[in-house]
Amino acid sequence: MSLLSALSVSASGMSAQRARTELLVENLANADTTRTPEGGPYRRKDVVFTSDAYATQFSSMFESAYTTGGTGVRVAEVITDQREPEKRYMPGHPDADGDGYVAYPRMNPAEDMVDLLSASRGYQANVAAMSAVKDMVQRSLDLLR
Amino acid sequence: MFQDVAANYESYMSLLATRQRLVASNIANVDTPGYHTQDIDFRAEFDRQTHGQESGLGPRVIEAQGLVTKADGNNVNLDREARLLAENAMRFQIASTMAKGYVKHIKAAINEGKS
Repeated sequence: MSLLSALSVSASGMSAQRARTELLVENLANADTTRTPEGGPYRRKDVVFTSDAYATQFSSMFESAYTTGGTGVRVAEVITDQREPEKRYMPGHPDADGDGYVAYPRMNPAEDMVDLLSASRGYQANVAAMSAVKDMVQRSLDLLR
Repeated sequence: MFQDVAANYESYMSLLATRQRLVASNIANVDTPGYHTQDIDFRAEFDRQTHGQESGLGPRVIEAQGLVTKADGNNVNLDREARLLAENAMRFQIASTMAKGYVKHIKAAINEGKS
């Protein structure tokens, strides 16, 4: 049924935006982290989305055999910021190099906050879509009463 | 005659469902680089289904025209999708209410005839 697959599409949008939010929160939390397991300061992470044909249910597979389009979304990859870390002069810091500079993550909190807002709005839009579709399914069921 | 009316309701509602699924997919892909807004030509598809030109294939998905493409190649307009989402849900509600009333009338005719 084509309406039920719309629910999976919205669900994929919600989980993608949630994954993005998790990374953005991680970025904000680590804005001043100078030590990581990989060595060096924390590096900003972000997601790349790609549209994806849902292939989770049998009915969806059957459906897509004769109706094209209607694709979900998924996280294609997580990219790590490769920019040079920011150097701050702090000679007393345990992570300072020979010249007294400490490498800090190159982070712009405004960038993350704006992305966070956009992810939250995207999530809300998907919830609204899901609720509208749910209402339509309910209407169809009411025809049987 | 009964089948005709019922079949029209069915085509209408199934086209609305298809369109709603495309709207859901457009909303899900609002931040996907390079994604293009998907839609169906509602009128053409409805005409095709109700005038006996059923090809056995589902509705043809097209790319919506006249939308502004953003820097990342994505042209989803969230306002357009929100409008379509509400519009489809409302149209579906109207159609399902009417279909229900239609069935009720037929039932009434059957029951009255029996007594």
